[in-house]
Amino acid sequence: MPVTTTALLELRDICVSYKHHQVVHNVDLTVDRGEVVALIGPSGAGKSSLLRSINFLEEPNQGQVLLAGQRVGVLDRRGRAVPANRRQLAEHRRHVGMVFQSFNLFPHLSALENVILAQVHGLGRSRSAARERARQELEHVGLSDKSNMRPASCSGGQQQRIAIARALAMDPMLMLFDEPTSALDPELGIEVLNTMRRLADEGMTMVVVTHEMHFAEEVADRVVFMADGRIVEQGPASEVMNNPRHERTQRFLSAVKNR
Amino acid sequence: MSLLSDWAHFFPELWPGLLVSIRLTVVAMLIAVPLGTLLAVGASSSSWVRWPTILLVEVGRGMPGLVMLYLVYYGGPQIGVSLTSFVAASAGLGLTAAAYISEIIRAGLIAVPRGQREASRALGLTPWKEFRLVVLPQAIRIVIPPLIGYGIIVFQGTSLAFAISTPELLSRAYNAASITFQYTATLTLAGALYAAISLAVIGLTGAPRFLGRARSLNTLRAARNASLPRTH
Repeated sequence: MPVTTTALLELRDICVSYKHHQVVHNVDLTVDRGEVVALIGPSGAGKSSLLRSINFLEEPNQGQVLLAGQRVGVLDRRGRAVPANRRQLAEHRRHVGMVFQSFNLFPHLSALENVILAQVHGLGRSRSAARERARQELEHVGLSDKSNMRPASCSGGQQQRIAIARALAMDPMLMLFDEPTSALDPELGIEVLNTMRRLADEGMTMVVVTHEMHFAEEVADRVVFMADGRIVEQGPASEVMNNPRHERTQRFLSAVKNR
Repeated sequence: MSLLSDWAHFFPELWPGLLVSIRLTVVAMLIAVPLGTLLAVGASSSSWVRWPTILLVEVGRGMPGLVMLYLVYYGGPQIGVSLTSFVAASAGLGLTAAAYISEIIRAGLIAVPRGQREASRALGLTPWKEFRLVVLPQAIRIVIPPLIGYGIIVFQGTSLAFAISTPELLSRAYNAASITFQYTATLTLAGALYAAISLAVIGLTGAPRFLGRARSLNTLRAARNASLPRTH
């Protein structure tokens, strides 16, 4: 199914529900290659659910996800669309890196082994190649000296950077960040934000759910404001942050800025 | 002191029985832990195997161990499976223990935080690898203390094998008593031997935990003392 588009990620008419409670309503969103998109908005706006629907951690109950022009989560079986099985979803997820609010490092493995695991068991890399790559990625996030430490003996900021290295080692086309600094002290959050800033500078395509308004304004190419499960407003970061058009956005931003 | 001399007198008689009881425990646990893990996985799965597995576990937990032993030992030959009393006892105890252990392991699997599964999934691990490489290793660490506790219960439960004439500790004690009529001496010795092994296992495996706690308390105390204002 070749589709001509410059977009790396395309979400069409996405709906996400938990039981009978719908949290994302018919959202369309396109992300270009190399673009950094910040998703902002009040809690309960559906930002995280939308983000998680991109790699099917939350299965959208309506709509389409296209990555590099390929429909995801659905198979074409003799012209009929059928849901992908878990093995095929795993294949899709290898192309999409994700960083969680709570880091979710594997506590029984060292930092290095955390970064090695999915390379070997997901991508099928040799152990030596994976170890070499893991060393590079840990160095990339400035943590070569923590290779043999367990996550529990690292600070929150270090843990989150290990989590970023773990995702990057998979050569993702796209990185998703779900409030990556919300569980951190401001001081530790900064080292994570600096790592993300560098990634953005290197041209990584990123979708970031965040409450860090400075980060959204300075690093994101585009800011998307969501409320009540819908996109209310989006545009170039400086425009949305400094000159919001919609009343709901203005209310949110003034509340956040006057804190 | 006559009790102690009686104990010393009966000890050589009971000692082989103690060894049989320990062997029974080990074999039963070797059956129960892998089988219990399979049952736990089945009962946690989302496919059709879930309900039959849960039924099996509940039957296993609902049936008294002695009934299970009789069933294996006396019921077996009716379907062409004749087992020696040791094998029947190990199998019977192992099956009952598997049902209970599956619940311990299932609890361990549930105790692994949801984020661990999400991270594995986000990294593109297949469900089997997510289970084998991420969930199971963490669950095992969680269930080791309750498994040791259950192993002690199985050890004490080996006394049920008396009923199918396995020469374990209790039957040795009972036989010695029925010849000499020294019921008090033999049974208290048997009880003391069960207790000695059980407490030794608890002591050996539990001690690091107590040590760990004591050490962290000491660090806390040290930290508090350090932060207290100097009086001089």
